[in-house]
Amino acid sequence: MNSFIAFIMGPMVWISFIIFLGGLTIKLVGILKAVRQKEPYIYSYVTLKHSLRSIGAWMIPFFPRSARMSPVYYGISYLFHVLLFLVPLFLASHIVLINEAFQISWPALNDQVADWLTLGVIAALIFFAVRRVMVPEVKFLTGAMDYVLILLVMLPFLTGFLAYHQWIAYRWITVIHILSGELVLIIIPFSRFSHMLTAPLTRAYMGSEFGHVRQAKDW
Amino acid sequence: MTHPFRFILCLAVLLAAVTTGMVSYAGQDLERLDSWAFESPRRPGAVFPHDDHIFLADDDCSVCHHVYENGELVPDESSEDLYCSDCHSLKPAPDNPMPLEAAYHKLCRDCHFDQGEGPVLCGECHVKE
Repeated sequence: MNSFIAFIMGPMVWISFIIFLGGLTIKLVGILKAVRQKEPYIYSYVTLKHSLRSIGAWMIPFFPRSARMSPVYYGISYLFHVLLFLVPLFLASHIVLINEAFQISWPALNDQVADWLTLGVIAALIFFAVRRVMVPEVKFLTGAMDYVLILLVMLPFLTGFLAYHQWIAYRWITVIHILSGELVLIIIPFSRFSHMLTAPLTRAYMGSEFGHVRQAKDW
Repeated sequence: MTHPFRFILCLAVLLAAVTTGMVSYAGQDLERLDSWAFESPRRPGAVFPHDDHIFLADDDCSVCHHVYENGELVPDESSEDLYCSDCHSLKPAPDNPMPLEAAYHKLCRDCHFDQGEGPVLCGECHVKE
């Protein structure tokens, strides 16, 4: 069992990050090539300035009009995305492991705060699942895979919460915690989670089309 | 006695036994490393049965109580008369590249990985008090 844990805490972390970053890179190259083949004129008006302006505008909370039109969903979604990165990256236990591997370190969240924020992430995911059941126009667009993906994102946070409290089957919970985190990284390029790449690309396109061509706002 | 009732009774007895076992285990005074050298430890001291490890190391204290000079392990020298924190400062320093926390983590966990047994995950040593 220890050699298995050594594998998932060592080489498997590297494999996961290589697939995650490599997969997204291949996807990016594929998208840029497809644009060049099918709609090359887009390159003639996409500018860095209009791209960054649109990405920036959409990162300001409640700034885009569509965000103000559904403030509850947008507010929860915004907080969720911040916490999704903030909690794992600034968790003391994770920083200790990174420090031992690379001799680099940064300030950590207080453990109790991180504990509550983890519950916040889980609550947001439950909200997203309930929304998919309750809101008719969202339900219409929802397939089984959408619920599977919500569960997959929840798993590392739920097992992380349980592992921190050491309530039950600590070793197994922690093994599932590590494996599910790696699984989520691996599936990012192959699932709708790739919106971490495509969402900024969409903003670059829209920001340039509206800002550069139509001289209008896209937020 | 009907079957469903007997089943529930068995289940209840089993649950009570397991819970009692868990509670009495959790209540045990576990032998822990003293964490006084850390300024504000985030975790309780690691559970560490010292005598068991003397046996596991074949009475060779230097397996853990090692001596390093200029980054090299000095063979057949041991350091039981020192605190770990005498050499391993809290932050890395020119004369100590291995801070105290990392020293503990690496010494224990790497050996447990090498030996294929023993705790290796955070909460397996830092058991909640």
